[in-house]
Amino acid sequence: MTLHTRNELIQFGAGAWIPEVQSLSFFVEIGPLVAALLVAGRVGAGMGASLAEMRATEQIDAIEALSVDSFKLLVVPRVVACFLALPLLTTFMDFCGVISGFLSEHFLSHISFQLYMARAFRDMEWSNFIPPTLKTAIFGFIIGAVSCFCGYTTNEGAEGVRRAATNSVVMSSLLVIATDVILVKMIFFMFPESAI
Amino acid sequence: MSDWKDTAVALDHVSKAFGKKQVLQDITLSVSRQEALCIVGRSGTGKSVTLKLIIALIKPEAGRIWVDGEDITDLEGQELSRVRQKMGFLFQNAALFDFLNLHDNLALPLRRLTHKSEQDIEEIIDRVLGQVGLSGDRQKMPVELSGGMRKRAGLARALVLEPQILLVDEPSSGLDRITASEIDDLLVEQKRHTTMIIVTHDVHGGRRVGDRFAVLDQGRLAALGKPQDLEHHENATVRKLVVED
Repeated sequence: MTLHTRNELIQFGAGAWIPEVQSLSFFVEIGPLVAALLVAGRVGAGMGASLAEMRATEQIDAIEALSVDSFKLLVVPRVVACFLALPLLTTFMDFCGVISGFLSEHFLSHISFQLYMARAFRDMEWSNFIPPTLKTAIFGFIIGAVSCFCGYTTNEGAEGVRRAATNSVVMSSLLVIATDVILVKMIFFMFPESAI
Repeated sequence: MSDWKDTAVALDHVSKAFGKKQVLQDITLSVSRQEALCIVGRSGTGKSVTLKLIIALIKPEAGRIWVDGEDITDLEGQELSRVRQKMGFLFQNAALFDFLNLHDNLALPLRRLTHKSEQDIEEIIDRVLGQVGLSGDRQKMPVELSGGMRKRAGLARALVLEPQILLVDEPSSGLDRITASEIDDLLVEQKRHTTMIIVTHDVHGGRRVGDRFAVLDQGRLAALGKPQDLEHHENATVRKLVVED
């Protein structure tokens, strides 16, 4: 991000804006979306594959045969975990992005940590952080629900495991991107000051 | 039919298809309490499907299924869960939960379905693992267990809720003769308190454990009776399936 934008910003005499542009773009959009897509790729595929494997090896049938509700045991905790974890991961991602931006800028322009941070958070509002971070809870719900659906409902043995893993990633990633568009519009409507 | 109410398990004109493939056709049989019925037949004749129908993991297209005198064909939710607690199921590959160790595999249904204290749960697990000879392996993960140990662990989990009816799918498949014989010993021991329905290809083991044989052929019930009676059955497939090598 830093490497891509700094030349253009310097060209227009806006070198001092580099930290702010980076932090705002990370907190508002890049952090939430990249965190969600990474979780969809890593966790979504894992959940889809593990549930499909449990279906293929009759473990889900065994849970049902024991009179235990397999949906409550296997699906609900995974969806809740994604719902709760994604805002935390996004916050971590945001700060990693800002620190990485500082390191990149420090090596190129020798800017101090204090000055970089002061500029990065100069015009930052809570509305630039809280709504975009909270929207990732919905991304988490989508990733958890879609991945669990793909894994839980498969019924095709080893082929089903492969397909569930692929479908989990593709479907949850596409749904996250589509939902992001809607949520950004809603955030602009509810918090007009958060529009950059 | 009212006489199904006196049986442990009964199938009344049950049929089951998967898509266009008709797996079971018009199966009628009953199993008395404390009886052990062996279901034999060639591969793909619907033996495992019959077990899954009895425990309502799948539903029949036609016919009624009775368990402990209760028609379970249309049961759902809590009612079905109540009936399933009367049954234990040993799956062909044991189907141990690979994310839990052996102890927790057994503890899961006790913690979820009973109000027993942790101390009582530990006592039950100790007793059941002792019965199947796995007392020293309680902390092992399923992946660390051999084929025979997995079968015994699956049996332990099926017995942990003290079911009235035990459904066993191929207890000796993939096992050497000695290990298969050990599993059969456990089933014979269990037969004293439990109704059993065993799907098997092992005629020797089946004859040791089973009181009667049900022979499935091309989705139909070809014969039902004591193995010594079926040895002289008019159907050659039945004779081949019940006669020991």
